[in-house]
Amino acid sequence: MAVVLLLILFYGGTMWMSVRISQKNENADGYMTAGGNIGFGISAASMTATWIWASSMYASATAGYTYGVAGPIHYGLWGALMILFIYPFGKRIRKVAPKAHTLAEVMYARHGRSSQLMLAGSNVLGSLISLTSNFIAGGALISMLSPLSFGAGIVIVAGGVLMYTLWSGFRASVLTDFAQVMFMLGAAVVIIPVIFFVAGGPGMFEAGVAAGTVTPEQGSFFSSDAFMNQGAPYIAAVLAYAIGNQTIAQRLFSVREDLIKPTFVTATIGYGGAVIGIGMLGVMALYLGVEPMNGDVNNLIPQMAGTYLGPVLLALAFLMIIGALSSTADSDLAALSSIVMSDMYGQSVGKENVKPKTMLLVGRVTMIIATAAALYFATAQFNILDLLVFVGALWGCLVFPVIASFYWPKVTNAAFSVSVLAALVAFLPVRFEWIPFTGALGFGVELLATIGIGVVLGIMSFGFFGLKPAVIIGGVATVAAAPFTFFFLRDYTVLSASLVAYAVSFLVCYLMSFRSKQDFDFDIIKDITGEFDPEHPAPAQGADEPELATRGAASAGGAGTAGTAADRRRD
Amino acid sequence: MTIGLTVYVLMWPVIVAVILFLIARGFFRDVSQAKKEGRPVI
Repeated sequence: MAVVLLLILFYGGTMWMSVRISQKNENADGYMTAGGNIGFGISAASMTATWIWASSMYASATAGYTYGVAGPIHYGLWGALMILFIYPFGKRIRKVAPKAHTLAEVMYARHGRSSQLMLAGSNVLGSLISLTSNFIAGGALISMLSPLSFGAGIVIVAGGVLMYTLWSGFRASVLTDFAQVMFMLGAAVVIIPVIFFVAGGPGMFEAGVAAGTVTPEQGSFFSSDAFMNQGAPYIAAVLAYAIGNQTIAQRLFSVREDLIKPTFVTATIGYGGAVIGIGMLGVMALYLGVEPMNGDVNNLIPQMAGTYLGPVLLALAFLMIIGALSSTADSDLAALSSIVMSDMYGQSVGKENVKPKTMLLVGRVTMIIATAAALYFATAQFNILDLLVFVGALWGCLVFPVIASFYWPKVTNAAFSVSVLAALVAFLPVRFEWIPFTGALGFGVELLATIGIGVVLGIMSFGFFGLKPAVIIGGVATVAAAPFTFFFLRDYTVLSASLVAYAVSFLVCYLMSFRSKQDFDFDIIKDITGEFDPEHPAPAQGADEPELATRGAASAGGAGTAGTAADRRRD
Repeated sequence: MTIGLTVYVLMWPVIVAVILFLIARGFFRDVSQAKKEGRPVI
């Protein structure tokens, strides 16, 4: 009963917030990016809330329980750096496409249809999987803490999220993120120290070691086990998730351009602190010798909360997890709708022929269909983890070609598409161990993986320091890593496969581009991407509405013409 | 070791509290700025 009341309170409250900002005639651009003018508080809250999902809390606690004190660091730190490493690229992306709605839309302007479809397709699949995963987490939690079934739980979560996101889209998603992040971070601030002291305080560490529940490896901050199995594959995934996840891109296009850096830095620290902090519950469970309920480590957080917290704080912990999964689920719905609105409807009819009302209808119908599909996947026996691995790999294949496309005028549509497909073809047999990697084949995989290390570090350095330092860092990293990677990386297929994807996409894209005669004019992107809805002023533009609406109309009209011209120039 | 691990466990809620404060302050500044300019906050 208490669980049902809390759910009514939570979804009722978010619905109330959503109704407060809803408008009879929503603006189509506002529905996707809230006018591209959001302030620091809301955007930082939204970025943090979106990136923290229920699975990240469960996974961090699992890492703490499995790998000991270093586990949560090797989960949360790299996840946090995903946000940090994308911001220099984010600034460049906003510069070349200030009014875009999706990254795929920008790829269309840069390259054409095939590149756009690759990115949009991976975005759709990723958001749908994330949505499904959040529904599953909600259903499991509700069925564990109440008499309600798993099926009833996922329907309540799906219905609650859809209800408050459907009408105002992204605007509702980011505003409710503020309330959700207050719950999440507030709960983390209170719950972690309370559980720590109620469970025995500092004495639990000596007791745990004395009882033999903690191995020396688990007690070490420099655990190689934690790094190789948890941290290293995550480092390789850092850029892939940041580039491939439309929820990040959407926030990038919505925040006021001068606030991109403080927003992303704040979200990095907020995500890292909260997720690593929640991971401490797993570390405590390890030292206390807690056995996960039914042998399932995903039960650790509810189990620790149920054992050591009173009713009020237990309710807060429940709302923390519901807030985490709902904020990510509403962002996934908003992301999916904007991809379909912009990349499918918008680009198929042409910017000048877009009807804003139809576009909004497309967005809302997308949300309903996506919710129904995620509910189906949540109840069917699909292996979500396998799908997630596949999408993660696809994103890894896209990172270099996408980033290079924003800086290097020589990258062609063919180089983009072929490099992504080649990387995927190389990734699959390594990841799923279809071929035994021994002898020359094993050596070849390790050679590519070693190049992949240089590519990952080179891309990360490029964002902050520019091309020359990036080439030096990437080259030195490859050479320095080589003595340690051969006859070693073949035992770590998850890590090797990701690195192979980076290496192959880099090599193919580079080799197909460096002799290309194309000299792409990045100003074209600004002309092709832009506002769809000059009819209704975006709410965030407020006081300057009439003037901006006029400018919007002019720019939209111009965009149609320029877009056509740009298409001709690009083709 | 015990003191080090205690600090390690308890430092994260402190970091989160600082971020919570910054985000809340930023949000209320966004709201007040929007009110001053006579426009919706989002």
